[in-house]
Amino acid sequence: MNVESTASLVEWLHENREPFRIVGNGTWLGAGRPVPASRHLSVQPITGVVEYVPGDLTMTVRAGTRHAELDAITRREGQWLGLDPVMCAGGTIGATIATASAGPLVHSIGAVRDIVLGLETVAGNGIVSRGGGKVVKNVAGYDLVRLHTGAFGTLGIITEVSLRLRALPEVDETVALELDARTPLLAHLVRFRNLTLSPLTIELVGASMAEQLGLSACAHFVVRLGGNEPRVNAQRALLSALGTLQAVPGAFWQAVNVFEGAIGTAGLAVARVSHRPSQLADVWSHVHAAISSAKAAPFFMRATVSRGNIRVVLPHADGESDQQFVAALTSIAQTITPPGGHVVWEQLPVHVWPYIPSAVADPLSHGLQRTFDPDGRCNPGILGAPWTK
Amino acid sequence: MIATLPQELVAELESIVGTRWVRKRAAELQVFDADGLPGYRQLPSLAVLPGTRDELIAIVRALAVRNIAFVPRGAGTGLSGGALGNDIVVIGLNRLTRILTIDAENGLAHVEPGVVNVNLGRAAAPFGLQYAPDPSSQSACTIGGNVAENAGGPHCLKYGVTMNHVVALTVLLPSGDLVTFGSPNGETGGYDFTGLFVGSEGCFGVAVDVWVRLVPLPQAIRTLLADFDSVDAAARAVSEIVATGILPAALEMMDNATIRAVEASIYAAGYPVDAAAVLLCEVDGLLEGLDADVATIERCCHRHGARTVRSASTEAERARLWQGRKKAFGAMGRIAPHLVVQDAVVPRTQLPAVLATIHGISERLGVMVCNVFHAGDGNLHPNIAYDANNADESARVHAAMQEIMQACIDAGGTITGEHGVGLDKLPYMSKLFSDDTLATMCAVRNVFDPNHRSNPGKVIPVHSCREWHGASPRSAP
Repeated sequence: MNVESTASLVEWLHENREPFRIVGNGTWLGAGRPVPASRHLSVQPITGVVEYVPGDLTMTVRAGTRHAELDAITRREGQWLGLDPVMCAGGTIGATIATASAGPLVHSIGAVRDIVLGLETVAGNGIVSRGGGKVVKNVAGYDLVRLHTGAFGTLGIITEVSLRLRALPEVDETVALELDARTPLLAHLVRFRNLTLSPLTIELVGASMAEQLGLSACAHFVVRLGGNEPRVNAQRALLSALGTLQAVPGAFWQAVNVFEGAIGTAGLAVARVSHRPSQLADVWSHVHAAISSAKAAPFFMRATVSRGNIRVVLPHADGESDQQFVAALTSIAQTITPPGGHVVWEQLPVHVWPYIPSAVADPLSHGLQRTFDPDGRCNPGILGAPWTK
Repeated sequence: MIATLPQELVAELESIVGTRWVRKRAAELQVFDADGLPGYRQLPSLAVLPGTRDELIAIVRALAVRNIAFVPRGAGTGLSGGALGNDIVVIGLNRLTRILTIDAENGLAHVEPGVVNVNLGRAAAPFGLQYAPDPSSQSACTIGGNVAENAGGPHCLKYGVTMNHVVALTVLLPSGDLVTFGSPNGETGGYDFTGLFVGSEGCFGVAVDVWVRLVPLPQAIRTLLADFDSVDAAARAVSEIVATGILPAALEMMDNATIRAVEASIYAAGYPVDAAAVLLCEVDGLLEGLDADVATIERCCHRHGARTVRSASTEAERARLWQGRKKAFGAMGRIAPHLVVQDAVVPRTQLPAVLATIHGISERLGVMVCNVFHAGDGNLHPNIAYDANNADESARVHAAMQEIMQACIDAGGTITGEHGVGLDKLPYMSKLFSDDTLATMCAVRNVFDPNHRSNPGKVIPVHSCREWHGASPRSAP
């Protein structure tokens, strides 16, 4: 079912009582737990710019608007959103906010929660509300914006969003630094941290992923520098003291963005493993060991250094049966969590999800679900066992 | 003790914290009856001041058992009529002042709610770090209060507000249950309870401890003062500076009334008293490239008619320029016995029009509005010094504030950017939000505090929340 406006969505909710899966442009439907709903509710037709005032660096758009369209419009004014979630070009802004998906730019621009100024939503009970507003500072009322951001549509459907924009940097360039495998990762990270840098992002890219992305088959730091020319030049000079820098075309980040779609395997598992940034070397080793001991290659890892977040991509390997794939992931799911750290699984085969603890099993989460979606219709179960009557 | 509380409860509270830390007499309670905003004085029944986390937990559980309403309170600097209540128990958090951890390597601090904002900054500085949100009241206000109000400050233009810096919390729900939101060790999945709790104005419970993000102190800072012949020109310079792509650490504006108030006070900062407006602009970050930013900002200011643009050449000069801005509210206190400090936000491009409207309102109603504000964010603080004992003047001030708020709403803005709704902004909530949105907010509150015992009567107008009808502030319906 396609809905084309907030009003038609409300009408649809009142006329249909069955559970449904909310769909944007359908580019990332593998994310989250399986949703036992035969109906798809597409909000992709609710699209277009409602208001864009470049002087305010803010924009209000309908939720089905695609990132590619937002990017084209804002770049004409020398601005950008600065969000780069996986597979975002074809995806919709509503889906990005609902899933709180972020990419490497989280280092400098912030997470989705830091960029969204206001939201219009239709709750599962059909009530339309507008949280936040169009201005960059706003503390009026309880924060419905943060409530729906990352809720995976379990509390309702996002229909319109107001966003904070940034001016494009005067210079935007990327360099890569190959890491000598004989030196421990921790030593590389310490040398890096001792530099006074202010980049757009610093990604640690594992050897197998680096090779897939056209770099040499070694781990790399890939650094995106932005700002005025003296600032970028100074940072490039600091980085060059660590080793030979390789200039990397800007298209590299697009390749990172579509990497998981480009692998083209029948099955895919994706996890985000996190801990404090100072633990990154240990956690990287821990994750690598947990996967290597259970699963056939290849697998791919990258990390946003300042956040201590590792993104792990585990494709169905050639020659690996479905059964072996599931068995390997079941084993990994039980060993990958680093001591004191966290794992958020984005994609898994259906049979592995039962091994993953629910993220919404607590009374407050169930209280919110009961309030916003009393009939349990909106993406039921996508975050974990929902509230039941 | 002003209103009757069960004697057994009073005795239990005294046994938890000691009699010294329970305030019962009217004279003792008057220090808890306001938050710096004239017009809102509400006397609590009792104030209890826990000295440890365990005492705080025991207090909230003792109140929960008896269904007694309470207000968590930090330093009482909120300026919205938020942390106060008639015939209620105030839980003062000022004794919970321990900085539990500074994890310099990861840029994190773990603090108790009563830690004073500026003290956290001082503790972080030796590690080359800072806590960025810097409300003008930072020498007194607490992190717990900052969390409750989602406080901002001049440097939030670049660094973000409190919400952007809180990574985890331990929260004591009004029921007495302890819950943990977020984690200092990365992302946990599930709903963003941390984001939801920050800015909930004490209505969802009490923050027992808070993990906040610290950011590196900048390698270099440049502070500029530009003065203009018109407020309009200064506002247009602000828009152009931001449009260049430079993100200043702060971009503050003061109008002539404020300049004169500051210069006549002990906080005199050397602002030109004949200027219609001054812009205080600060850029920070890596040393390299900073001078290029300064040159760009100077060009923007001159293009919009700046008479002079000067740069602070020493740290002492920088501190002096900032002292004038940070103490502007205090300086206005010299003009008249009372000062109403307002807080609203408009889209940045609407600043010239809204400032002109405010000027018109002040002329027509015969009140003196002093504008000092975070221009880069569009966050206005139109302040009026007056004599609250003069009924006619008070009425005109009240009317002016109503018209100013309406002008900000009409311009596409909002009624508070950093002070919160409290009691003061309640009448404007239904102008800003639909009935359904307000009812939704009520429903969210019910998840945390179904009996509305934690800071009752704040944020959402009573008539917007059916469940509130007939509710006494001291007991559940």
